[in-house]
Amino acid sequence: MTAPALSSEALADAVENLPRSALSATRQAALAQFLERGFPTTRLEDWKYTDLGTIVDISRRWLENGAPVPASAAMDDQIAEVRSSIDADWLVLANGRIMDGALDAAIPGITIKALSELPQGPNFERPLADLNAALLSDGLHISIGPGAEQERPLGFLIIDSAESDPGVSQIRIEIDVAADAQAQLIEYHTSTGNAGHYSNSVIACTLAEGASAEYVRVQNRDLKHSQTQRTSMRLAARSVLRYCGFDLGGQLIRNDLDIDIAGSEADASINGLYVAGDGQHIDNHVRVDHRTGPARSAQEYRGILGGRCRCVWNGKAIVHKGADGTDAKQANHNLLLTEGAEIDAKPELEIYADDVKCSHGTTVGQLDEAALFYLRTRGLDRKEATRALTRAFGASIVSRLPIASMSESLAAMVESRLRGLANGELS
Amino acid sequence: MLEIDDLYASIGDTPILNGLSLSINAGEVHAIMGPNGSGKSTLAQIIAGHEDYVVTSGTVTYKGNDLLGLEPEQRAREGIFLGFQYPVEIPGVNNAYLLKAAVNAGRIHRGQDEVDAFEFLKIAREKMAQLGMDPKFLNRGVNEGFSGGEKKRNEILQMALLEPELAILDETDSGLDIDALKAVAEGINSLRSPERAIVLVTHYQRLLDYVEPDFVHVLSEGKILRSGDKSLAMELEDKGYDWVREAASA
Ligand SMILES: Nc1ncnc2c1ncn2[C@@H]1O[C@H](COP(=O)(O)OP(=O)(O)OP(=O)(O)O)[C@@H](O)[C@H]1O
Ligand SMILES: [Mg+2]
Repeated sequence: MTAPALSSEALADAVENLPRSALSATRQAALAQFLERGFPTTRLEDWKYTDLGTIVDISRRWLENGAPVPASAAMDDQIAEVRSSIDADWLVLANGRIMDGALDAAIPGITIKALSELPQGPNFERPLADLNAALLSDGLHISIGPGAEQERPLGFLIIDSAESDPGVSQIRIEIDVAADAQAQLIEYHTSTGNAGHYSNSVIACTLAEGASAEYVRVQNRDLKHSQTQRTSMRLAARSVLRYCGFDLGGQLIRNDLDIDIAGSEADASINGLYVAGDGQHIDNHVRVDHRTGPARSAQEYRGILGGRCRCVWNGKAIVHKGADGTDAKQANHNLLLTEGAEIDAKPELEIYADDVKCSHGTTVGQLDEAALFYLRTRGLDRKEATRALTRAFGASIVSRLPIASMSESLAAMVESRLRGLANGELS
Repeated sequence: MLEIDDLYASIGDTPILNGLSLSINAGEVHAIMGPNGSGKSTLAQIIAGHEDYVVTSGTVTYKGNDLLGLEPEQRAREGIFLGFQYPVEIPGVNNAYLLKAAVNAGRIHRGQDEVDAFEFLKIAREKMAQLGMDPKFLNRGVNEGFSGGEKKRNEILQMALLEPELAILDETDSGLDIDALKAVAEGINSLRSPERAIVLVTHYQRLLDYVEPDFVHVLSEGKILRSGDKSLAMELEDKGYDWVREAASA
């Protein structure tokens, strides 16, 4: 596919029509870069399996409509539902806009600012971060101070609606966790509406020395909506990251998770579960840069695939020169329920240091027929037995959820997705 | 209750059952014995509905209806239980979940109310106590890491909870220590009733000392060579299978 173009005039107008703020200058520079680079294409090695055609199309139609921002009132019910099912201090970003109240939330030890209040504009170096910075109305900057004692996790509720016209929204969140501070963070992405939607998120999180973060990301979008996301995490010395990501919904999903192990004795656990059914495409690219050692990273992603769908997992670990004593593990396991389900799994290791312990493994398997038969001889029908086996397959990720208070609601979400998969998408 | 008439079945191109006929009535206990590889487990798996075995001719009726057209879960809900010779390990699927789901699948089928978690645990613990099983097995994965004997007890636990009308126990007595054998035998005996039938596939007289069969059959090369009462089992113990084969061909 050739570099898909959006009308540069329409894009420039959309940027021009954003509320003026300190971000305006960055927007122009980011726009110039995006117009030059465009959307990543499948000719790029990193994007080989993921064609952004759907997303380009939505963006084009959105621009043709004058780049509207729908009212967020229609989402009140959904917002209330998330609030009631997961206990967190929620900051709501609806259709790419920071909702009233988010900036005034008073949480002891946590400072919340708009990105437009900061002296420096957002970074837009990485692919699609330029599009994000160009079209960004505003973003959030969160500082979690050393004294912060969170009573409940801090949650970012990223919600979009595209009722009748296509929509596009940009999300940018920066989080700094101070030295020795402890943070519990949740990102929850969801959406409603029958028209196409594209959400582009850029999240940057830094953990200072000795800081720790328990981080859960849930992407539970409507199956007609698409998302790209880049999450960058920087770990200073002795910091600990416990990350768990879930992709349950969405049509075309591309996640880039970049973990920068910048200080010795940093420790990152990265776990992910993706559940894909008919028509879904979920791509997870995880890159861990070990810049110094000793330090540890361990990632495990699991996928449950049904219907006609395609998933991609690419786990790259780069152990840089001098990062001696690195311990890096990568694993990816997939359960394919149907013939139409496809997975491209690729672990990559680049090692330029001595004395490192690295391992990787990927598996692709089908349902265990003997187990399925055994369960059926006990009276469970095929759907229920399938669900029991898929649930068991995902359980090793679900059980590692670092924020215990949300485990029940998360298990229910996974369950409801698996139910959908077992009911309609096994043909 | 179960009528098997001139059954031929194969796996792939290999014929395994060769004209097997067997009639089992409610209230009866049948023992099926026979050399390794003669087709005992194949018969049991076919009755339970395993799809790998292809019935090439013959019929099987259960409670007056064709059995072979039913899905495995329908057979289970209609009261058929198979205790596997090799129970399957299912890591990550909780034993309690399976037991409860199995009990409720049967109850829903019969138009009864489902048992709730509380009630279920009460019944399960009772049955486990009778079988000398530690309640901690409820929280483990189905057969996951169970010892050979523990797996067999778990099969009997499932049977005790499901209270089947037709129980087929495929070498449930193999690999059991003497206490376990007694517990399993008690489990089987407590299920004996005029409404139920039990089929024991076994290699040993030992189990039959505790669970007295009404009929003993010898299965060889895919068909029943000889049937008799419990004295046949003792005779076999003495004389081996060659004696039956010779007698059959004579
Ligand atoms: N999947 C299969 N593929 C090929 N042959 C098979 C398969 N399953 C069973 N058989 C063959 O069918 C025959 C009967 O096997 P079956 O398990 O029914 O014997 P059995 O009487 O239960 O023996 P045992 O006493 O050892 O348990 C054996 O020769 C076996 O090798
Ligand atoms: Mg056998």
